[in-house]
Amino acid sequence: MKFKTQKIAYWFFAPALLLLVLQIVYGFIMGFAHMGFDVLHDIIPFNTARAVHTNLLVVWLLLGFMGAAHYIIPEEADREIAWPKLAYVQLISFLLVGVTAIVCYHLNIWEGRKFLEIPRPLDYLVVANVLLFLANIGWTVWNGKRFTTTAIVLYMGLLAAALLYLPGMITFDNQTLDSFYRWWVVHLWVEGVWELIMGGILCFLLIKLTGVDREIVEKWLYIIVGLTFISGILGTGHHYYYIGVPRYWLIVGGIFSALEPLAFLGMAIYALYMARKGGRKHPNKTALTWTLGCAIMSFVGAGFLGFAHTLPQVNLWTHGTLVTAMHGHLAFWGAYAMIVFAMMAYSMPLMTGRKLWDTAASNYGFWISNIGMVAMTGAFAVAGVSQVVLERRTGIDFLEVQKEVEPHFFGLVLAAALFTVGILLFVLNFIRYGRPTDEALGADPAES
Amino acid sequence: MLSKSQARAFFLGGTGVFSLAFLALTYDSHRQVPHLTNEGNLTPQVIAGKEIWEDNNCMGCHTLFGEGAYYAPELTKVVERRGKDWMRLFLKDPQAMYPGERKMVQYDFTDEEIEEIIAFFEWCGKVDLNGFPADPPLGRVAAPVVTTGKTDVPKPQMFSTICAACHSVGGEGGNVGPALDLVGAKMERDAMKAWISDPQKIKPGTAMPQIPMTPEQLDEIVDYLLSLSENH
Repeated sequence: MKFKTQKIAYWFFAPALLLLVLQIVYGFIMGFAHMGFDVLHDIIPFNTARAVHTNLLVVWLLLGFMGAAHYIIPEEADREIAWPKLAYVQLISFLLVGVTAIVCYHLNIWEGRKFLEIPRPLDYLVVANVLLFLANIGWTVWNGKRFTTTAIVLYMGLLAAALLYLPGMITFDNQTLDSFYRWWVVHLWVEGVWELIMGGILCFLLIKLTGVDREIVEKWLYIIVGLTFISGILGTGHHYYYIGVPRYWLIVGGIFSALEPLAFLGMAIYALYMARKGGRKHPNKTALTWTLGCAIMSFVGAGFLGFAHTLPQVNLWTHGTLVTAMHGHLAFWGAYAMIVFAMMAYSMPLMTGRKLWDTAASNYGFWISNIGMVAMTGAFAVAGVSQVVLERRTGIDFLEVQKEVEPHFFGLVLAAALFTVGILLFVLNFIRYGRPTDEALGADPAES
Repeated sequence: MLSKSQARAFFLGGTGVFSLAFLALTYDSHRQVPHLTNEGNLTPQVIAGKEIWEDNNCMGCHTLFGEGAYYAPELTKVVERRGKDWMRLFLKDPQAMYPGERKMVQYDFTDEEIEEIIAFFEWCGKVDLNGFPADPPLGRVAAPVVTTGKTDVPKPQMFSTICAACHSVGGEGGNVGPALDLVGAKMERDAMKAWISDPQKIKPGTAMPQIPMTPEQLDEIVDYLLSLSENH
């Protein structure tokens, strides 16, 4: 750690992990409901659990990104964060808005649009809040002693994510148009600008952990995010096959979303190549494991499993089935959860000064959570493919098919329990570092 | 080898070109959507139905146009599949229609709200969705068609609108419950009446719902079902 204000990152990371644990709790509620034990139906019906589960995901990942930005930007811009107090105000207000939204979902107050359920008045608060964040980080970048590609790509990703939140706030009487612009937010976030954020964080970590020359790492970053946008922007079309827009989206969406795995494949090869090429032996092996793990799992989850049901001929049958949940879980875990974990694993020893580089808890945490998540993906895959064959291809009634796939949800819950053990080990390890301290200034082996 | 500024140009150029292409296609989609979705039929009743859909986060369990959660049925063609009378009964008391099964929240909709919801689904069902949801291609293999169903007794209206959502006669109708072509050969008149009037009493835990009906309607249905096997 070079600057005192980098410590702010910790205060974003800690609540992010707390919300992740809460997200998992709501996941279990849904898993049990799918098994036939919807015992909480009267207090937390499925649609509440579902909205809480996905919204907590978005909130904790955003907290993770914001925390990462507070750590990375001072180092890249070579100066302190412009207004540290503002960062805390922004953090607390962001958490308040998030918690209020979660409470609202338990009271049947929401907008009822998948992923964008948050009630309208809170939308405005989110916008105001994110503007504070962008102003603070932006001012720091703008008045920095140096401009780096890493900082600019990261900032552009955060800025574009904020701008793309706005189309989701336009309402239409026509369900088709409503859906059309909802994907501008959801798709262009996760298969577009969030990849800029992920790329920026990945780039920072590779420079620090592998010691490869910045110019080379950053050059390839441009190529990767270029591939992401070339495929991902028109790849939005894979959400437009069957919602009431013209037929050409089948061709446009089919071709460009089939190219999307290339960006993730590029990212994986890039990270592995840099790690091999790098001469530096950074003691923080756990951080490197999470970084490379992220690059590989994002290719498997987002790239490969996305491709598995993105072609229109396949999607006609899998659209709106549990196959989507299969892809969704591994994609978010691999691409976004793991990059946030990598950033936490990298920065915690440096912010706290405790040189717990490579502990048993952190290693087991990595493997157990990943094996658990892969097993969950497998359970979703079997349930999803069964649903497609029985319901969509054979015409057996929905509820009858759901009974057929109940055993796979038992498998899912078991796998999720394993995943949870891995997450709890990571959290335990996180707690062991304690609080960040100014005594940790200059403790980064990458700078010696 | 590629320089950093060339890499940057690739990123900026690629993003620019494909963003413009995306905006052009968006413009064209906007132009065609009114026609593809029959926008002229978006009555205040349909819009009110859409608001109910959103205010209760129905998408948190169901899918519509294949979008939503995967806990409850896809609803794009629900009016075509179940019929309005069945939906009216169902929306009044969802759990009564599927006793002991996966639960839907009891929303206590008014009659007016129910009509609005149905109007919204009816509009959705007519949007041109490029062939979604597709008919199951293997359907005939799973449910071989029984070709009885011949009788001189006219099919009661209630049978067509409610019972047929789950049961089939002559290969027409739902496949949730058993086909009823030969039920008259297995059941006496009184047993059949007792069963339909209160299924839970005869077989606790059955998935068969208790459908509210007048004694006349009950007689009509029983007459019809018995006549199917008399002529067989």
